[in-house]
Amino acid sequence: MKEVQQVFRVLITLALALVIGGIIMQVSGKDALNAYSVLLQSALGNERAIADTLLKATPLIFTGLATMIAFKAGIFNVGVEGSLYLGAFAAAWVGFTFTELPALVIISLAFIVAGVVGGLWGAIPGYLKARLKVDEVVSTIMLNYVAISLTEYLVLGPFFVPGMSNAMSQEVALQAQLPRIVSRSQWNPSFFIALAVFFIVMFMMRRMTIGYEVRVLGSNPTFARWAGMPVRRIIVLVMFLSGFIGGLAGAGQVLGVHYRFVAGFSRGLGFDGIVVALLGRNTAVGVLLAALFFGALRSGGATMEMFTRIPRDLIDIVQALIIFFIAIDVGFGWLRRRFAPLTGGSETDLLAEGAGD
Amino acid sequence: MDILDVAVNVSASTLRLATPLLLVAMAGLLSYQVGLVNIALEGLMLIGAFTAVVMGVEAGSVWLGVILACLVCAIGGAFFALFVTDLRADLIVTGLAMNFLALGGTAYLLQILFGVQGSYTPANFESLPVLNIPGLSDLPILGKVLFRHSPLVYVSWIAIPVTAVFLYHTIPGIHIRAVGENPEAARTVGISVRKMQYLALILAGLLCGLAGAHLAVGDLALFRENMTDGRGFIGLAAVYFAAGRPRMAALACLLFGFFEALQFRMQTTSNIPTQFFQMLPYLMVVVMLVAISVRKEWKKG
Amino acid sequence: MPYLMMQDITKHYPGVAANTDVNFAVEKGEIHALVGENGAGKSTLMKILYGLEQPDSGRIMLDGKPVIIPNTYSAIRMGIGMVHQHFQLIPSLTVGENIALGYESRKGIFVDRTGIATRVRALSEQYGLQVDPNQRVAELSVGIRQRVEILKMLYRNAKLLILDEPSAVLTPQEVDKLFEVIRNLVHQGRTAIFITHKLHEVMAICQRATVLRRGKVMGTLEVVSTNPVEIARMMVGADIDTVQLTTTSRPGIRQLHLEQLVAEDDRGLKVLRNIELSVHSGEIVGLAGVEGNGQHELLEVLVGLRRPKSGQIYICDTLATNLNGRQRREDGLALIPEDRNQEGLSNDLSIWENLAITRYYTAPQSRGNVLRIGHLQQKARELMQRFDVRANSHNTRVGTLSGGNAQKVVIARELAETPRILIAAQPTRGLDIGAARFVHEQLVNLRDQGVGIFLISADLDELLAVCDRLIVLFEGRIAGRLTAAEATRETLGLLMAGRSTENEVTTS
Repeated sequence: MKEVQQVFRVLITLALALVIGGIIMQVSGKDALNAYSVLLQSALGNERAIADTLLKATPLIFTGLATMIAFKAGIFNVGVEGSLYLGAFAAAWVGFTFTELPALVIISLAFIVAGVVGGLWGAIPGYLKARLKVDEVVSTIMLNYVAISLTEYLVLGPFFVPGMSNAMSQEVALQAQLPRIVSRSQWNPSFFIALAVFFIVMFMMRRMTIGYEVRVLGSNPTFARWAGMPVRRIIVLVMFLSGFIGGLAGAGQVLGVHYRFVAGFSRGLGFDGIVVALLGRNTAVGVLLAALFFGALRSGGATMEMFTRIPRDLIDIVQALIIFFIAIDVGFGWLRRRFAPLTGGSETDLLAEGAGD
Repeated sequence: MDILDVAVNVSASTLRLATPLLLVAMAGLLSYQVGLVNIALEGLMLIGAFTAVVMGVEAGSVWLGVILACLVCAIGGAFFALFVTDLRADLIVTGLAMNFLALGGTAYLLQILFGVQGSYTPANFESLPVLNIPGLSDLPILGKVLFRHSPLVYVSWIAIPVTAVFLYHTIPGIHIRAVGENPEAARTVGISVRKMQYLALILAGLLCGLAGAHLAVGDLALFRENMTDGRGFIGLAAVYFAAGRPRMAALACLLFGFFEALQFRMQTTSNIPTQFFQMLPYLMVVVMLVAISVRKEWKKG
Repeated sequence: MPYLMMQDITKHYPGVAANTDVNFAVEKGEIHALVGENGAGKSTLMKILYGLEQPDSGRIMLDGKPVIIPNTYSAIRMGIGMVHQHFQLIPSLTVGENIALGYESRKGIFVDRTGIATRVRALSEQYGLQVDPNQRVAELSVGIRQRVEILKMLYRNAKLLILDEPSAVLTPQEVDKLFEVIRNLVHQGRTAIFITHKLHEVMAICQRATVLRRGKVMGTLEVVSTNPVEIARMMVGADIDTVQLTTTSRPGIRQLHLEQLVAEDDRGLKVLRNIELSVHSGEIVGLAGVEGNGQHELLEVLVGLRRPKSGQIYICDTLATNLNGRQRREDGLALIPEDRNQEGLSNDLSIWENLAITRYYTAPQSRGNVLRIGHLQQKARELMQRFDVRANSHNTRVGTLSGGNAQKVVIARELAETPRILIAAQPTRGLDIGAARFVHEQLVNLRDQGVGIFLISADLDELLAVCDRLIVLFEGRIAGRLTAAEATRETLGLLMAGRSTENEVTTS
């Protein structure tokens, strides 16, 4: 069975990465087995541990899904991080501006505005790719940095809070702050919003026309064009959706964790989304599982550091190893195809001009 | 304060701040010319910075630290090349992995080896000595702007013409460009695409090592977690802004260095947020990419 | 003893016998034409000679000695050079750098520019190939680029030059110039193999011609003692006539009309010149022609993927020039594309997903933005039955189907809702006889139902079997128009090889 094989491959990848991580710990004079058992304990051992795992998984579910949608259409979107920042700022802005609105309204509004802002940000490189054949990898990398600086500028300039020494915005209205569910954990309802998005994305990909269009475009863009699909419009739309979900990730962090916009808060949640999408084999269910896995590593890593004096940066190393293994995996046909045109023409030729589209 | 003084200071710090950018941009240029988008520059640079400090302390010589940084990063470049050529791994995904590994690995080692978190300032460890160019450093104005710098600043100036001459006037350089532009054609005349990609990425690694070393031991003598802070990507931005031309890339780096210098200046003298200047380099690249595409389309008619 | 002998060369690809027991000999100092239709095996034979492919069996003798040519590099070292139709040049390098690439003379660690320039100048002087060694190739016209390619071979001291359809990309003036150069090369002791399908070129500069057809040598002719008609007949062969399917057609209203259509290819060269044609309901109009004479670009123009330079397209009396592909399909256009695997199907998707693509966005296939998957799958099953697609289920991946079954999926999709005009491009390519027969029957049935059919094909048997009218395309122009009664293999072959009836082309 193909699915079983896929799962098996992922498990081998994980096992290899964890074994090498263990060897690294042993070489550094630590007890790897003990470390892993502490990590497991502190990721899943009790109610609070599980809550923390779900907390850490929440933004990864969002960014993983955001990346996955683009990947499925054959678009290498590295720009979810940028959408996340702008979405986060937008959510904070709604939260500290419309302070008179009731809880449900202000929270919904914050998420929606965050999504739209993130989506529009994502649509920019989408449009540049569709219309002008600008390579999305380079443009999204660059736009990430623009977004990070832009939001920092916003909190230090136009939205500067006098007396605040750090680059952060005002706190959002009290009723916009998502409540904590479990004591001593920041776990909050944004996790359920992520779950809802997961189901929506799954429905969209399986049952809706856009999902079908994404499948066709991702599997054979030449066919899509010859069959008369509006390829350019689909690319822009997919990038909008990807950015939209990235924006939601930002809103979730702001309303659920920080209660304000903090410049530079993400530290690569968008990039982690790429890893999650890759490890999840570019399927919605896979993304959910991969996000939970990394959530567990992240929350367990922090506690592990406290008890075993093994730096939590080990988790980053394990993550890097996982990506290395994914990068050389033969299962990712579409990844191969992307840079196959190194021999000759560019892959964006697939978008050659069409009349009247 | 005297306007002239300000100008001199800003010019001098522009050159200082542009140094790691120039070095990493030349690394990006080599990758660009061989046809690879190298996002691992950032990570390699960080590894370079770490090695320069750690090995400098271990070996008891900061210069030895710099040399070992180059060596380690060149090996890192070869490792990257192994993935993208022989293992046929995806370029961007591998680059991402390199960056994660560099970030996590240096932070991990910092704690394992020295038991410190965040930053490491070794005792009794000096940065590279400032090299005053005899005769020239005493010139009025120019002396202070151009000739009283850390040695790697001068190295970065030399790196530009050396890279350009290498790419445009030596046989391996020409072969690198041939491979980058039309690998099929290069193959038919017996040039090994694989070898050229290895060569370009190893040399790029070496330059990343220099860039990282300058950050760590050029003016300071310390290592900080994530101390490259996106400079690898600014270097990459300069290359794409210049569409692969060495002189333009160097100019872009100077411009970006100038933005940075201005930022420092304004932080101390005014209340205007300086993040605007931070995003300019990246914004300029996007505008440039659009301009290049528009021109291509327009040429096609 | 001939200079080059290729003996009993056989090369089979999965499902295709590209070369079967080919014997090919070239004398020193001659210009030897290698002619044949597309897919006749010319390219494969030359790839073997140039070290790009290895034969399954057979041997090669060069200058009396048996040789093995494992790669291009060794081919070049043996003095074999090839000028590809798609130039192998590096645009940002200079002419000199391109010519010397991989064989640079050096001065220390630097490339010896002056040395190279001197040698290039000497060569260009000797053979009348004017170039400026310091100019960048990006700035050069196609004709000059070809000169650079030829010089590249001479710089490597190639004694045997393979020229792959060298005139295809040139203007008539440039062609004259090229011929002069080739004659000059041969005068100075080199040998040339000239791949072409243009017979007037064979007559103009070659001494002998070897004709390939379906991977086999049909014969080698002395040009002085033959004529274009004989060569053409050899090229297109004289197989057993296929069953004539045509019944009398009853052409009705005009369904497709092209008016003074002009289009350029990606490099800005004119590939369609003033194409004027119509297809009516109830007739099959065939567009004959060797591939690469503008068919691909014409298809792109027809489905809206390439904007014509000038001229108009009408689909069922609607001006369609500025409509996109989807709108054209909604107006009644259907298409069987040339390249089934790339343009016609997505091999990674299931049969039902491949069948859904033309109409998925409207009711009843979808409601709101939600696909009615059950409905689509039901419809897929019906179509599979109706068009005899043999597969386990509608969920079968198209990539696992045989060529014939995959083509049936394309046909089922395009004919699901009877179109008004069907464009079928090379619809039987790579299919076995049974599957091809099925396709032909479908076309004729459709014609009898009153659909207009525009059949683009390089297969003469196919065209003669089903078409009511024939139009021949040569170098982007319409070279002739024939009724089914007038058309014979010979007349078509001649027109396809560049003998125009519309305006005479000289053979000198």
